[in-house]
Amino acid sequence: MVEELINEILMLVGTLMIVLGAVADLIGSIGLLRFPNFFVRLHAATVGTIWGAFVPLIGAALFAAGYVELGTYRWFVAGGAVVTALLILLLGPVGSHALARASYRSRVAVPYPLVHDALKEKLERGEKK
Amino acid sequence: MSAEAYLSVIFWVLPIYLTAFTLYSVRAVRGPTIPDSVLAIDSMSYDLAAFITILSILFRSPILIAVAIVLSLWVFALDIYVAKYLESREIGE
Repeated sequence: MVEELINEILMLVGTLMIVLGAVADLIGSIGLLRFPNFFVRLHAATVGTIWGAFVPLIGAALFAAGYVELGTYRWFVAGGAVVTALLILLLGPVGSHALARASYRSRVAVPYPLVHDALKEKLERGEKK
Repeated sequence: MSAEAYLSVIFWVLPIYLTAFTLYSVRAVRGPTIPDSVLAIDSMSYDLAAFITILSILFRSPILIAVAIVLSLWVFALDIYVAKYLESREIGE
């Protein structure tokens, strides 16, 4: 009886996290399509990566742990989903930072609606390499 | 609620993911610069890993989870290679 209740709660929380991830994914993709330049688009892309991939993966892991019809293999699915979620949590921000730094330094992406660029002044004064 | 009710909720959520993938693809094709396309492909593939995990639950085929791990690692490699190429115009010896 207690075990069934635990499985029910796991599946409920997992479904809620998957739905939340889908909504965040849609918001991130709309932001990526609508924002004016690359450095603003990075903000929407991180919404789509962490809220749109990390959260539904944890939700899928919880759902698989409570879904008895999968058999013994449900622990395989849950463990793989947790490993993927941790990899995305570590590697997504690292990749975004590397891409942002490279595209600023190489002047490939131009920050067009620009108010103030403090990094450019620091680079010109030689305080930062 | 039984497991089938939760699975039907997840099944009706899948079109939202597909719409998001379509919008990401539009940005990846249209992107004015190289980093825009790479960023769109990056986000799309991370979300595709989550989508494949959800499909492996829906189809009851646990072997699909191995695809998600490899996909996230390859997309990280794409990010790092493109960043290295943009910064120093070579992809490393």
